[in-house]
Amino acid sequence: MMTSDSSSSPSSSGTEFADPNPSTDPGTNSERVQSQLESMNLSEPSEVSDGSHTDYGGGDDDDDDPAEEEVASANGNEGGVSNGLAGTSGDEEIEASSRAEHPVEMEAGEEPPSPTSSGYDGERGSSGGATSTDKADDASETEIREANVDGDTASQHEAAWLPGKRHVDEDDASVSWRKRKKHFFVLSNSGKPIYSRYGDEHKLAGFSATLQAIISFVENGGDRVNLVKAGKHQVVFLVKGPIYLVCISCTDETYEYLRGQLDLLYGQMILILTKSIDRCFEKNAKFDMTPLLGGTEAVFSSLVHSFSWNPATFLHAYTCLPLPYALRQATGTILQEVCASGVLFALLMCRHKVISLAGAQKASLHPDDLLLLSNFVMTSESFSPICLPRYNAQAFLHAYVHFFDDDTYVMLLTTRSEAFYHLKDCRIRIEAVLLKSNILSTVQRSIAEGGMRVEDLPIDRLLRKKPSSTPNPESLTDVSVGTGGPFGLWHFMYRSIYLDQYVSSEFSPPVTSHRQQKSLYRAYQKLYASMHDKGLGPHKTQYRRDENYTLLCWVTPDFELYAAFDPLADKAMAIKICNQVCQRVKDVENEVFLQGASPFSW
Amino acid sequence: MPSRRRTLLKVIILGDSGVGKTSLMNQYVNKKFSNQYKATIGADFLTKEVQFEDRLFTLQIWDTAGQERFQSLGVAFYRGADCCVLVYDVNSMKSFDNLNNWREEFLIQASPSDPENFPFVLIGNKVDVDGGNSRVVSEKKAKAWCASKGNIPYFETSAKEGTNVEEAFQCIAKNALKSGEEEELYLPDTIDVGTSSQQRSSGCEC
Repeated sequence: MMTSDSSSSPSSSGTEFADPNPSTDPGTNSERVQSQLESMNLSEPSEVSDGSHTDYGGGDDDDDDPAEEEVASANGNEGGVSNGLAGTSGDEEIEASSRAEHPVEMEAGEEPPSPTSSGYDGERGSSGGATSTDKADDASETEIREANVDGDTASQHEAAWLPGKRHVDEDDASVSWRKRKKHFFVLSNSGKPIYSRYGDEHKLAGFSATLQAIISFVENGGDRVNLVKAGKHQVVFLVKGPIYLVCISCTDETYEYLRGQLDLLYGQMILILTKSIDRCFEKNAKFDMTPLLGGTEAVFSSLVHSFSWNPATFLHAYTCLPLPYALRQATGTILQEVCASGVLFALLMCRHKVISLAGAQKASLHPDDLLLLSNFVMTSESFSPICLPRYNAQAFLHAYVHFFDDDTYVMLLTTRSEAFYHLKDCRIRIEAVLLKSNILSTVQRSIAEGGMRVEDLPIDRLLRKKPSSTPNPESLTDVSVGTGGPFGLWHFMYRSIYLDQYVSSEFSPPVTSHRQQKSLYRAYQKLYASMHDKGLGPHKTQYRRDENYTLLCWVTPDFELYAAFDPLADKAMAIKICNQVCQRVKDVENEVFLQGASPFSW
Repeated sequence: MPSRRRTLLKVIILGDSGVGKTSLMNQYVNKKFSNQYKATIGADFLTKEVQFEDRLFTLQIWDTAGQERFQSLGVAFYRGADCCVLVYDVNSMKSFDNLNNWREEFLIQASPSDPENFPFVLIGNKVDVDGGNSRVVSEKKAKAWCASKGNIPYFETSAKEGTNVEEAFQCIAKNALKSGEEEELYLPDTIDVGTSSQQRSSGCEC
């Protein structure tokens, strides 16, 4: 797809962007690339050096860091939601709402941080809106140190993440609960709790009622509350009919992404129950859906965990296990045959990565549905009625799931509830093909080998000085040298627009600890949000440098590239490397992407 | 999502300003009473776990502001209530006369599926005041009102002394539980591929 650099004009589409010809003189080539990049309508300053990525110490919200215990650093804003409503004066208030003052009015008592004006609150087990400010502040001071425990210890635990609910003993009166960095709540529009990431839902009934009161109060004025900012905390609201979803976070993630996370959380709930629950609420406002969700804690905790490691949660694309083209074709053929026999979708997966998939004619699968489905399957039983919210949120499909080994599984989706034996038969046919062509062992090898690595990028020998393995102090001053890939390339993600797929490089030094990876991940999210900001964008390129990274993003009609470099990386070189990354992805696209998959090709 | 089946009951407390709604709630939940009067602004929310006939359930108590200027939560506030507690002050005829308004307001806003049988409980509070000498609403009168509204259970309480408060809330819980007993049938369909035409157009960037 990429043409030679001598042919195309800079004004044409992104795929005709300059090609890094290895034989060209490096200096002039990179200069031209750079000038072309700069000619591409950069509406932001070409170099942004903001302090916004100070996330290293505090951006961690996940429960795999026991040392950190997920408690937020104290910031004097521990008064909870109501505090946010009453005290946001300096900050952006309620987005898209001119009614930010109304909640303040509601709280206009002697104790502004609390909707509980009675003064009895803060009692153990009875707390409603919020405990008193004094109490929270006192406590927060004793907790700061805990929150600042260094991440090195945390990273050693990264393999130990297990799905399941944490800290069930907490409620909104617990200091530890109030300091968790990222809360998710689901409640009904009558204020009954449905799900809380931390703590016991029933003990949080008062808190849940407070959230409902806030949402309903704004709604009564014919308005909608989307976001409340309170110091470092963002409170993001999402109303989905009778279901209210709320995220309270001080993780510094963008509003758009947090809202997207709530969307996925809602989708996961729909996957398990379908939108028929709406009808239950219509018929009976008292309806309590928690019994229907019994035993699904692991599904939700695993989804929330994936918000901090799985790019699919914000790219809205899926990723494939790298495989030789012929092997993927072979699996695709049998899956298609199976679909022809009345199976709606057939997916061969390895963890969250696709080996191959097929769908019945005209049936298309959304990457978000695939994400929710594989998350559900990997954390629950193997034969279930499920609903794909992006396919049809009203009704069930029946999913047959079979694991061929610890990692690799097939999912067969059908509309026929009685099709179990047929699906089993289909699975046996698929298994026979997999065994015959030895695909499973190739899959295992691919898992072991991992995906693309920045170190393996073939680059122009003339450009490369010395491999980073030589710890020569002089070479440190050279921009071309650094750990990771060539010229300080640390990591990249490439998203193909047409394929709905992405490929990202494996994490390489120096981005080794879980904390560093999460921090980089958050930086990507910000980059993604700013590139897709409807108010400012859409942008084509962005070059951003702060003390942690140099980030480069390039969006064309065909693909999006996100790359992270050493903060000292040379800009011209970084641009050149990005071109080479694109070229490299094109070279191996048959291995890293699923080509011509019918369920996704609209 | 509790794995063990538990029931959560939404209980709304209504009544004129100053009749002692917040005090009743605090006596029940926290076993505390304060002589100081503080108007409730908007609403208060308390929770209490209750054991009833070997079942554990949670009362989510919505204490409302009696003052009219805070009556702004409307439908959303009343939605999905399992029981409504009406409170008046036995020393104030006006607070008793207003019970009709409170009851009707609730039925309009909450629009329960079976308004005739929706569980209300009436509480006449402040029986301790002045040794009962300043009382203006007789027990007989209150009971007659309850009978006319479909035999609403009636309790006379003192939030200050804790008299009858536990009993009243036991009854509230029992009635709320009864009304929540009817199970909703939850039976979603399976997709019919032949008729479903929900496919989206291409390039949807969601």
